[in-house]
Amino acid sequence: MSIVLTALGEFVLYAVLATFAQNAVFGRSLGVTRLVLLVDDAATDSLGFCVLLTLVQLISTPLCWGLNHLTMGMTYRAALRPLAYVVITALVVAAVWALARSLRAATRLGPTPERMAELLPLAAFNSCVLGTQLVVTVQAMTFAETMGFALGSGMGYYLAVMLVTEGQRRLRSRRIPASFRGLPITLVYIGILALAIYGFTGHTLLV
Amino acid sequence: MTIEKARYWAEHMNELSKADRLWLNNPVIIQGLGIAPLVVAATNGVQALYLSVAVLLMLTPTRVAGAVLRRVFGERSHLLRVLYYAIPAALCYVGIYLLVRQMWGVSALQQLGIYLPLLVCEPLIIRRYRADSAESAGRALRRGLYTTLGYLLVLNGMGLLRELLALGTLYGSPVLSVKLFPLAAQPAGGFILLGVVCAAWRGRIRAFKRNIYQEVERAQ
Repeated sequence: MSIVLTALGEFVLYAVLATFAQNAVFGRSLGVTRLVLLVDDAATDSLGFCVLLTLVQLISTPLCWGLNHLTMGMTYRAALRPLAYVVITALVVAAVWALARSLRAATRLGPTPERMAELLPLAAFNSCVLGTQLVVTVQAMTFAETMGFALGSGMGYYLAVMLVTEGQRRLRSRRIPASFRGLPITLVYIGILALAIYGFTGHTLLV
Repeated sequence: MTIEKARYWAEHMNELSKADRLWLNNPVIIQGLGIAPLVVAATNGVQALYLSVAVLLMLTPTRVAGAVLRRVFGERSHLLRVLYYAIPAALCYVGIYLLVRQMWGVSALQQLGIYLPLLVCEPLIIRRYRADSAESAGRALRRGLYTTLGYLLVLNGMGLLRELLALGTLYGSPVLSVKLFPLAAQPAGGFILLGVVCAAWRGRIRAFKRNIYQEVERAQ
């Protein structure tokens, strides 16, 4: 019983940590390029994107964790890690695609296959997913921590998308110099939010 | 600039801007690509140099391989097309890992952390899969090299600027006796500094384009 409770505690703690204090975007800049492109792209549904990202992360990250444990002690495994993780992600994408298609066929719910084919690779093959898979490997997390971190990382990404989207809406003001409008002010804004996150984690300045 | 040249620029501004990956359509400054490694890992000149070698050996070969695979296997769904780029990028990474380890040792890999393998899924490297039409291998090579040059310009410039502002050194050699902006060594400082550099760069481009159109107008 105590093992289950400990695992549950680790899961919740790491999910909360990855959502706020170790936010993928503000803490580690994971998937920041995709985020900047996403908030500018009105045609892409942010919520759908983040749901798919979290789903792919939740399924693929424990598989990567398992593979890492199986190959422990193998020489140069770090060199092959991205290749192995890309293959795992591709298999998970195929499974999610098949699941979404059968769900749509049965209930008429969810995005059309064409929309899904466009959104799924965007959500699965980005540095937030690969970054989360690499972080759990490098930090040698337990299985419960891995699951919590994968879930929290996806939720944290959605939080970041919401914050940056809202920020961008407010930063369309004419008071902002023309050269700063768009990408430059978005980067400054993300920098200031990242600075706020340092309040949770702490960062050493080289002074 | 001569009036003939200004006229030529004014007439072909869109095409010339699009093709110029160094200045007018820089992958970082204008397209917002490759931000994560630049902001987190390129905190000094040496680390920017390590990343430059990785980008140099990954971006163009991946783009060329992607172009060839698209021609061989045909224009399939995005679900498959993304693998035409991600798998070659991951294969390139194997060589890059061994090269960096051989040239600079394990400490270089440790300094870059997850940001070196993360290049495999950077939109800078793989986003070409979203383009509707496949390009020829020659065009992919040419465009890949231009994009690489544009990225390396900003990557190394930012690495050196951050090292100078945070530590007062350049490639480890003391240049300033004061640390002007220690936050530049942190990702938050990297974002803020990149935003400011982006604004200055974009401002300069706007002024350049405005001058061309004004010169052409005056001549008429």
